[in-house]
Amino acid sequence: MLPSRRFTWSMVLIYALLIIGGIVVFYPFFYMLMNSVKTGPEILHSPTSLPRQITFSGYQGVFERLNMLLLFRNSLILAVSITLLNTFLSALAAYAVAKIPFPGRDQLFGFMLTTMMIPGVLFLIPTYVMIYRLGWVGQFHALIIPSAVSVYNIFLIRQFMVSIPDEILEAARLDGANELLLFWRVILPLSRPALATVAILNFIGSWNDFLGPLLYLNQPETYTVQLGLYQFKTSIPGENAQEIWAATTLITVPLILVYFFLQDQFMRAFANVTLK
Amino acid sequence: MKRLGQRIWRYAWGYVFVTPWLLLYLAFGLYPLLLSFYLTYFTYSFVRPEDYVFVGIGNWIQGLLDPLFWKSLFNILYNQGIFILLKNGLGLISAVLLFKATYFSRLFRTIYFMPVVVSIVVLMTIGEFVTGPNGPVQTLLVRYGPLDAPVFWKFDRWLPMPVIAIINTWKWFGISTVILLAGLYTIDPQLYEAAAIDGASGWEQFRYITVPQLQPQFFFLLVVDLIFGLQMFAEVFTIGYDVYGGIYNQALTPVLYLYAQAFDRSNIGYASTLGLLLALIIALLTVIQFKFFPREAR
Repeated sequence: MLPSRRFTWSMVLIYALLIIGGIVVFYPFFYMLMNSVKTGPEILHSPTSLPRQITFSGYQGVFERLNMLLLFRNSLILAVSITLLNTFLSALAAYAVAKIPFPGRDQLFGFMLTTMMIPGVLFLIPTYVMIYRLGWVGQFHALIIPSAVSVYNIFLIRQFMVSIPDEILEAARLDGANELLLFWRVILPLSRPALATVAILNFIGSWNDFLGPLLYLNQPETYTVQLGLYQFKTSIPGENAQEIWAATTLITVPLILVYFFLQDQFMRAFANVTLK
Repeated sequence: MKRLGQRIWRYAWGYVFVTPWLLLYLAFGLYPLLLSFYLTYFTYSFVRPEDYVFVGIGNWIQGLLDPLFWKSLFNILYNQGIFILLKNGLGLISAVLLFKATYFSRLFRTIYFMPVVVSIVVLMTIGEFVTGPNGPVQTLLVRYGPLDAPVFWKFDRWLPMPVIAIINTWKWFGISTVILLAGLYTIDPQLYEAAAIDGASGWEQFRYITVPQLQPQFFFLLVVDLIFGLQMFAEVFTIGYDVYGGIYNQALTPVLYLYAQAFDRSNIGYASTLGLLLALIIALLTVIQFKFFPREAR
């Protein structure tokens, strides 16, 4: 089981398996890219072969018929506002439970941990009833406000913040900084790794969210990229093949690029582990 | 009491900082939670407001006797059984391979984790075409033997759940890989050295050292997989099934059924009850996992 640096047949086998795995994982991405530059009939009749001739008419169609810019705008409004609000408010609460020993803090933190155990499906219907009665259905804040802070993210940031030495805080307090200033000037910069984790989870989560927009943003002018792609795909089955692959590529490639640059942060966010 | 008052005043910022969370939780956490219990006692509907009738535990009885609910529960357990085995099995194999590989390990890890960032709509779009009757997988299977003719698996009675489990494995096994890989680095190398001196083969080392030492990681993966897996919705919805999961209900999951009751039948009270019922089942299975896993692994 120890890593070895000698050439052996078992090393050959290991690399052969790793390469096969890599091809299987990468192929669907390749399939998506390849079909996005084919013509419609070619996608339907020979989906697995390489494009005979590269065409970008699918991408053109996406902007003309799917109103891609509007979809991107809506998804960005959601993802950016949820990411900023949730990361900030979760960090604020995390700082209080990590570093300010106010009476009742431990009980409050215990209560937070309990709320984390409740499966999300329980909230689906009653939250819809509530948002419906408030008249928020069809408006962005129906999704933004309930996501403005979350216990799981408070927990993640808190776990990081407890390791910040108290001496740093005491020194700043002696210099006359109030807690708000301290939070903004000292705590937030020191907590950058935890904030990156939470920001990534927030952004990917809201960008990829399907059920939320399906319930609350079900009018064409408020469609997000995910909902727009779904509606486009199911409205006329078998049609629009070119546009579907072009749209799929456009939605996915920006995320993949960000992932390539921040892969360590992504692994920490999604798997909660640090790898060298 | 005076001391407590002083401390409250001294640490008042603490209360200020948790207030946004507290207010939002009261409004969008606690209130819906209470509302869901309340709604289970009524028949309630947006389109038939006059239908607001107290039914006591009627919704619960209807849920326990509803064959479609049990069908949906069977489907999701069928799906998750396959998914959890495949995803964590492949995760373990790839983690061991990455651990042993000396060069390019990071590159392969990057590729294996890539599908994690893909959205469910994109995942099912790609998955549907790649596994479809004229997609690459079936083309290969037909050409080299195992299949006689392409299969329209979406309309089959038993195939949708396993195929969706395979598609989901592609997306999620990277997380298992990375978690188990981190676990492998924490195993004391002396264990392997001692075993090698005692003449243990590679397989025996894997079976009696690697797998038991990774128990904490497996426990974490199983608990999280089951909690999220049982709540599957977007996968079956976006692949184009109706809200009852096809003519045989072959792709009906509990959350899809809940959605159908709420937004197709407009039975809000009943849908709310199904949500509670599913949450209870999830809680029960989680407790069972805690009970049956060795104490030191949790």
